[in-house]
Amino acid sequence: MSATTPGAGGPLTAVLQAFRDGVHSLDEVGERTGLARDVVQACVDHLVRLGRLEARELAVGCPTGGCGTCASATATGQAGCGAVAPSATRSGPALVTISVRRPA
Amino acid sequence: MALAGAPNVGKSTLFNALTGARRTVGNWPGTTVEVGRGAVAVGPQTVAVVDLPGAYSLDPMSPDEQLTRDLLLATDGSAPDVVVVVASAAHLARSLYLVAQLRETSRPVVVALTMEDVAARRGQRVDAAALTAALGCPVVALDPRRRSGTERLVTAVEHALHCGPLVPRPGARPAGDEDPEADLRLADERFGWVEQAVTAAVHETGARARTWSDRIDRVATAPVVGPLLFLAVMWAVFQVTTTVAAPLQDALDALVTGPVSSGASWLVGAVGLGATPVEGFVVDGLVAGVGMLLTFVPLMALMFLLLAVLEDSGYMARAAVVTDRLMRRIGLPGRAFLPLVVGFGCNVPAVAATRILPTVRQRVLTALLVPFTSCSARLTVYVLLARTFFPEHAGTVVFAMYLASIVLVVLVGLALRSTLWRSMGAEPLVIDLPPYQRPTVRLSLSVMWLRLQGFLRTASGIIVVTVVAVWLLQSLPAGGGSFGEVPVEDSVYASISRTVAPALDPAGFGQWESVSALVVGFVAKEAVISSWAQTYALAEPSSARSPGALGDQLTATFDASSGGHGAVAVLAFMVFLLAYTPCVATLAAQRREIGTRWTVFGVLVQLVVAWTLAVVVFQVGRVFW
Repeated sequence: MSATTPGAGGPLTAVLQAFRDGVHSLDEVGERTGLARDVVQACVDHLVRLGRLEARELAVGCPTGGCGTCASATATGQAGCGAVAPSATRSGPALVTISVRRPA
Repeated sequence: MALAGAPNVGKSTLFNALTGARRTVGNWPGTTVEVGRGAVAVGPQTVAVVDLPGAYSLDPMSPDEQLTRDLLLATDGSAPDVVVVVASAAHLARSLYLVAQLRETSRPVVVALTMEDVAARRGQRVDAAALTAALGCPVVALDPRRRSGTERLVTAVEHALHCGPLVPRPGARPAGDEDPEADLRLADERFGWVEQAVTAAVHETGARARTWSDRIDRVATAPVVGPLLFLAVMWAVFQVTTTVAAPLQDALDALVTGPVSSGASWLVGAVGLGATPVEGFVVDGLVAGVGMLLTFVPLMALMFLLLAVLEDSGYMARAAVVTDRLMRRIGLPGRAFLPLVVGFGCNVPAVAATRILPTVRQRVLTALLVPFTSCSARLTVYVLLARTFFPEHAGTVVFAMYLASIVLVVLVGLALRSTLWRSMGAEPLVIDLPPYQRPTVRLSLSVMWLRLQGFLRTASGIIVVTVVAVWLLQSLPAGGGSFGEVPVEDSVYASISRTVAPALDPAGFGQWESVSALVVGFVAKEAVISSWAQTYALAEPSSARSPGALGDQLTATFDASSGGHGAVAVLAFMVFLLAYTPCVATLAAQRREIGTRWTVFGVLVQLVVAWTLAVVVFQVGRVFW
């Protein structure tokens, strides 16, 4: 049986609404919407691609070859030492914040 | 036949398994994207196989995805006769969006289901038959790494080739316009279809064992234990740093104040400039100032290494959660924790990082709080004073300063919110935590080295400039005398400091030697120690060039200014150092981000808070100590 209710929008709408309601974790999104974690993750990915959510990788978990807490960090919290974040060759953990994107 | 699918689902592995790794690579016109081409025997015929670049959907976000879309939806007859969508069982929903889009066409589709073993470890089993029914196209489970199941895939492809076009999935309609809401509705409908397929085909086996990451997180992010654990970890970091680095620091100190100073003095004398102002500049200025800072290199390296290990292990992400929860509880904007965390490294990028906050009020408030986060430049002063005045508890004292920094951020934040901005509003924050992992030596050392370089690069530039400025001011006579011939206590440097010093008498450190360091520290905190080294080297040149002499003279200064309560006066001095303006670079960043008016307001708040706290600490502390 599907977790979302017909007429009330699909999984994307439900996930987006959960963010607007102020959830703090993907598990909480799953609890609110009744969607499987895999579906929640896929929806979040897609909403980021659509520009409805904003995902920001925090440099406190440094990308390979750089960090964001030194004097050379950039305004966005990314590494300022030339390391690319997110890096395709990342070998460390990443900390990502997701929030509802503000209208331009 | 085309192999399509999201990146990292085993597409190329399947391609090699099907084609025997006889892959040729061709550059397609207009792109630099590589597409694998090969052949596979399907029944009696040989079918060309194209391994397309990874694509999550047919809505391109990159040249790779654009190429995949162009090849799959080509209308010039070059489109594949059958599309094999490689889907990971471990991330099924993510893989099926492409299937949803392809099923809106009549193009034959076969789904190759990979990574069932990964899904099984997560306690999930995917029913291929149920998925076949839900998707309306064949689904073949296989393991391309072991080359098992590929024959069944070939059979399914052969069947799809003979069956011809599929009936397009009903319900979905193209967006038809550029309306973003229409795009969302269409994607929502597709996800509804994907979700129904996932619900029908994925079964939780209940075998998902709680990982050790889950178990640790139950403690590390718990509401009460989490913050306590964070504090304990940070205490251990400072304890280890100050204890282990101490012998190295002493050895470097002995080297700089002994052979290096003597060698520099000999060199200056050898070129005929001995006993001139040049000798004072080189030996008592550059060598004493820069050398003193260099003695902190082992300490900074060790601290950066320990923090890098904590970050690489994944613990710092949990610390961010703990910090965030605390901030939200007291009503501060949740996302403000990022600039504040960055501030513990350096305040300048932290002020710039307030740009991530959505409202002007949140940006201004956070930019005003950043200077209260204790940057790494202030650490050197804490360590010098803590090791001098509290040698048995240096690590604990340094840790207490960081704790005080957090408390200051919270209290000043609450004070500003309750007076200036009563309606701040909270921004929702979602954090997905990565699993813990064993820190890698190479990465940790690399991060440590990069941070150390950053510290040295910033410090060295500032130190040389301030050493020159301090030396000039110390060489200029305030009254009579000639340049470079005047005792330091009669110099312009001491004279300026004496005019400010009475204001700090109530805090127990109203001596010009202490106040001058704070004045220099207004430029940059890295220069506080070098200015002391210069001052005391000039005051007592002979004794200053022996290990521990700076500490002895600091003790004498603080004891004299506090009426015998030197240790309490030092604590008050450290609190003042923590709370007053961090450096001119931070002010410049604040002016750029929040304007001159708020920057001036911030400086006033910092000075008032710093003076008030220092006076309270000294006046209360001397009653008991």
